[in-house]
Amino acid sequence: MNARVPILNLSVGGLLARLALLIIVILWTVPTFGLFISSLRDKDQLAISGWWTALQTTTAYEQARTPAADAQVNIDGQYVIAGSFFEEGDTKRIRSFGGGFLPDNDAIEYLQGEQQGIRDYEPGVPVALEGGGTMTVNADGTFELVSPTPFEFERGQRFFYMAEIPPRFTLENYQEIAGAEGVYQAFLNTLTVTVPATIIPIAVAAFAAYAFSWMDFPGRRFLFYVVVALLVVPLQMALIPLLRVYNGVGIAKTYPGIWLAHTGFGLPLAIYLLRNYIGTLPREIIESAKIDGASHFQTFTKLVVPLSVPALASFAILQFLWVWNDLLVALVFLGKSPDQIVLTSKLRELIGSRADNWEILTSSAFVSIIVPLLVFFALQRYFVRGLMAGSVKGG
Amino acid sequence: MDQLANALLAIVVGVGALLLYYYGTNWIIDTLLADRMTPQGVVMSGRTRLREAIRPWLFVGPAVFLLGLFLVYPAIQTFILSFFNATSSNFVGLRNYQWAFNDGEFLQAVGNNILWLLFVPFVSTALGLVIAVLADNVRWGAIAKSLIFMPMAISFVGASVIWKFVYDYRGPGATQIGVVNALVTHLGGEPQAWLTIPFWNNFFLMIILVWIQTGFAMVLLAAALRGVPDETIEAAQIDGASGVAIFFRIMIPQIMGTILVVWTTITIVVLKVFDVVLAMTNGQWSTEVLANLMYDWMFRGGGDFGRGSMLATILMIAVIPIMIWNIRNFRKEETNR
Amino acid sequence: MFKKSLALSLLVMLVLGLSVPVAAQDELVFPIGEGPFHWESLDAFREIDLSGETIDVFGPWLGPDQELWESVLAYFVDATGATINYAGSDSFEQQIVIDVASGSPPHIAIFPQPGLAANLAAQGNLVPLGEELETFVAENYAAGQSWVDLSSYPDENGDVQFFAFPYKADLKSLVWYVPENFEDAGYEVPTTMEELIALSEQIVADGATPWCIGLGSGDATGWPATDWVEDIMLRTQPPEVYDGWVTNEIPFDDERIVNAIETFGLFAKNEAWVNGGVAAVASTDFRDSPQGLFSVPPECFLHHQASFIPSFFPEGTELGIDADFFYFPPFEAEDLGNPVLGAGTLFAMTEESEGARVLLDFLTTPLAHEIWMGQSGMLTPLLTVNVDAYANDTLRGQGEILLNATTFRFDGSDLMPGAIGAGAFWTGMVNYVSGAEAADVAAEIQASWDAIKEE
Repeated sequence: MNARVPILNLSVGGLLARLALLIIVILWTVPTFGLFISSLRDKDQLAISGWWTALQTTTAYEQARTPAADAQVNIDGQYVIAGSFFEEGDTKRIRSFGGGFLPDNDAIEYLQGEQQGIRDYEPGVPVALEGGGTMTVNADGTFELVSPTPFEFERGQRFFYMAEIPPRFTLENYQEIAGAEGVYQAFLNTLTVTVPATIIPIAVAAFAAYAFSWMDFPGRRFLFYVVVALLVVPLQMALIPLLRVYNGVGIAKTYPGIWLAHTGFGLPLAIYLLRNYIGTLPREIIESAKIDGASHFQTFTKLVVPLSVPALASFAILQFLWVWNDLLVALVFLGKSPDQIVLTSKLRELIGSRADNWEILTSSAFVSIIVPLLVFFALQRYFVRGLMAGSVKGG
Repeated sequence: MDQLANALLAIVVGVGALLLYYYGTNWIIDTLLADRMTPQGVVMSGRTRLREAIRPWLFVGPAVFLLGLFLVYPAIQTFILSFFNATSSNFVGLRNYQWAFNDGEFLQAVGNNILWLLFVPFVSTALGLVIAVLADNVRWGAIAKSLIFMPMAISFVGASVIWKFVYDYRGPGATQIGVVNALVTHLGGEPQAWLTIPFWNNFFLMIILVWIQTGFAMVLLAAALRGVPDETIEAAQIDGASGVAIFFRIMIPQIMGTILVVWTTITIVVLKVFDVVLAMTNGQWSTEVLANLMYDWMFRGGGDFGRGSMLATILMIAVIPIMIWNIRNFRKEETNR
Repeated sequence: MFKKSLALSLLVMLVLGLSVPVAAQDELVFPIGEGPFHWESLDAFREIDLSGETIDVFGPWLGPDQELWESVLAYFVDATGATINYAGSDSFEQQIVIDVASGSPPHIAIFPQPGLAANLAAQGNLVPLGEELETFVAENYAAGQSWVDLSSYPDENGDVQFFAFPYKADLKSLVWYVPENFEDAGYEVPTTMEELIALSEQIVADGATPWCIGLGSGDATGWPATDWVEDIMLRTQPPEVYDGWVTNEIPFDDERIVNAIETFGLFAKNEAWVNGGVAAVASTDFRDSPQGLFSVPPECFLHHQASFIPSFFPEGTELGIDADFFYFPPFEAEDLGNPVLGAGTLFAMTEESEGARVLLDFLTTPLAHEIWMGQSGMLTPLLTVNVDAYANDTLRGQGEILLNATTFRFDGSDLMPGAIGAGAFWTGMVNYVSGAEAADVAAEIQASWDAIKEE
């Protein structure tokens, strides 16, 4: 049944509505999209231009230094220093150069804020040097200094150039975060935390939910009220005393420790969700199983569990995403050494320590969100169902 | 590779242990407390009652134990610790609380939290509702909803990186790589370091949470909207009511229950959120919120567990009205069952 | 559907897991036997067999610093066969507290602040290092007794013991610049503070920006500003005032200190003097801000920062040629001599272990210092090192200042208690730069200090 808002029956209104929706959707996706594009760009370009210019050529203003004079060789009586300022395979192209030790070209005027001399000379054309000789710089970065008399400068001479860098996309950023940055290790760690922390609560909660639904015992109602109340208790209430208990028992900063912690924190929602579902199974089915002589245990394992798979899946998705994206519990119960740090914690560290390396931040962020996104898109249906069923939860 | 193997082993062992417990205990009572039978199969003394009295506790036991250990006991303990000093060695009564209400940082955090609580739930719910309505009538509505919903899958820290990129600031005159500043300079304005502008930076942080939570609101409200009977709408149309009137006078009251649920859920998320503030500003530039402050005090300069616990307790107190409302609601539903 | 997605996730995990490169065999940066190093230091350690022993080390070094540190460890591992797990963190000050409180500390913790180490010592969480190491430092470090004083704190019974071994020192009173940019613009290196201020004004008059200042540092944001204030304190007040300030005998909101903060504000809160404007100061990471020196045209000409910052200069920057430093000058009018501010990291043992003790012994050898010295921004007061091992003349010059030090003050915020020196002082400076008044900020810091004295 579709509820229809009458104003949208008008075609003008309908158009406006569609436009509004389109704008909202674009606004919503632009941030993530920008991040993704950025993570694929060449890291130097990424640092100096916005991602929406990713397909344009970027202009870079840089300096270069000639080798020192002792690199000169004597060829046919001329003293030559030759080489390349760029590395093999670099796609930069010099558009103009000048300044530094090169003589000024008085014909060119410069504005406030421009590097003096940077547009003085064109690539490929020899420039007369003070003290004799010429320097030729080519667009691809190769150069040659030639002089009839030996060069005498002790250290390399500096000058500036304007270069164009064609747009370049690459997977390097993702490779860079592998080794030293330890992001993939963090990925494994997160997986190690998340999978058990999803499976264990399901098992524990399923049994409890069944008991709350179909078994009779004193205090049943009261206990379930406690569960409902616990849905909203903030995690922060539990951290300090638990830290101490863990300390006493010696399981702080261990994987089993954090699995148990996540289980404990996830149980209220799990029990609530599963109980809601299991409680709505047709009474007749349970009854007929009992008549057939099955104990509660058998009814549960052989009948209820298979029937509850949708609900189990819903909770599993919710819990998986919750644990994968968690930061606080990991900060407190797990360490920061490379074999323990989780993606969220790693990402946060990177925001602090590598704030200037956007290529590391963007690719790491993407590695951290790719699995939740995949899980989300594949199993959206269950996710939504879980949210709706658990919508009284604290989150 | 070792780690992979270890992880798999841990899963197998963990699950195995669990199953062992459940199957094991049930089998034990089934065997130990089996009905005593005569050789002819006649039941001499049925011990069903005893068995079935114990069994629920086997089912519920682990859950009750874990809940007690991980939530109930710590919550009570934190409450108690809030009356002690930093190392929990001396009872100091209400001193922590007194300190809080005289501390500038605390009061600012409270003020900020109030801002968050007013802004985020309202905007998320309202936007969610609007989008739900708009998307329902469009062929590509499902895709639109998915895209709006997607940020829910992203961690708060991941969202922080994404939005850090959006808010990025370079000096005036430099090329901007953040979308917002690029837009602003394109339109002729001066780029700003958005996250450092006092008071307004709170809203820039809130936008991130709204970005994440609106999808949640949208999903629930869309489902609720679908539950509004067509006949009611048509009847109102026939009576000549305008679209806007129908929206506000009929649809909203009908889904008020869901609206409240969405509102309260987001409220609780807002109270607990600390990742966004921690990753983006760490409370600097007057963006401090209670949850972040609590984490800070828990470990600042050696750790002050008295103040940390006190802050956690205050968070708890803020949440109690919702807890009571939840329980009451639940009870109502139960009696209707 | 569920199974399919599970399979997909496992696949992704497998692929990524396989792409985690096997930990590269730690290659030794300098081939053994070559170069101006004390290779004989390794001899004693080759006799020791620590294979199977794992040493956990936790410290603040990340990125390039981490790589340099690990290059030193490589030699130790090579000689003894031990396994060393080093973890670095931007929020070291918080994380070490968590680790100690939760009963899972590393064997060795590398403290950038003695104040924080003192806190932990008083709680009984540090292992005393013993008389031998204490005597070693006193006799083999320049201004050795000062270093010993820095590393000794009262334990849980109030007895002062030697808890931390100093390794790696930093010189703070330095201003970095690009000599060729100065030449091109016709500027001279200032020798007095008055000249420095005049130079800054000159640069502005020429249409450029003089300073790059960045305070960002994750959870430690604000600490570079504390260095500024301490340097200025030493240049506006006699050293006794500095000492009183650091122990809170002189309250933080004393007008002499407020004056120092406001002098810092002269530089940092001056819109035309700072690259990116005042708003950029607190939001730019300290590792990022020196980049402005090297852009074309330069975004700034001057950068006040400690001796370790070259590790964060663009790749290929040659010290002495592409970049150099000059001493942050004193006020001619004040006539307080040439004070020098410095700091160091201190290695403390948070959990006793044989391997940890051997590692500390390794750090007493000149080689352990020379490996880092030979690469980048590391200075040491250890008298037995070969100064030729310094990677370049610039470092050597700094190193010699340190070795000849007699009057020398340690970073004040590192000496203050953790809650102030690694907390309120930092956040106070961020507030100041973001618009607060110096007097208000100082008063707040003093209030925080009073609050912890109550405990």
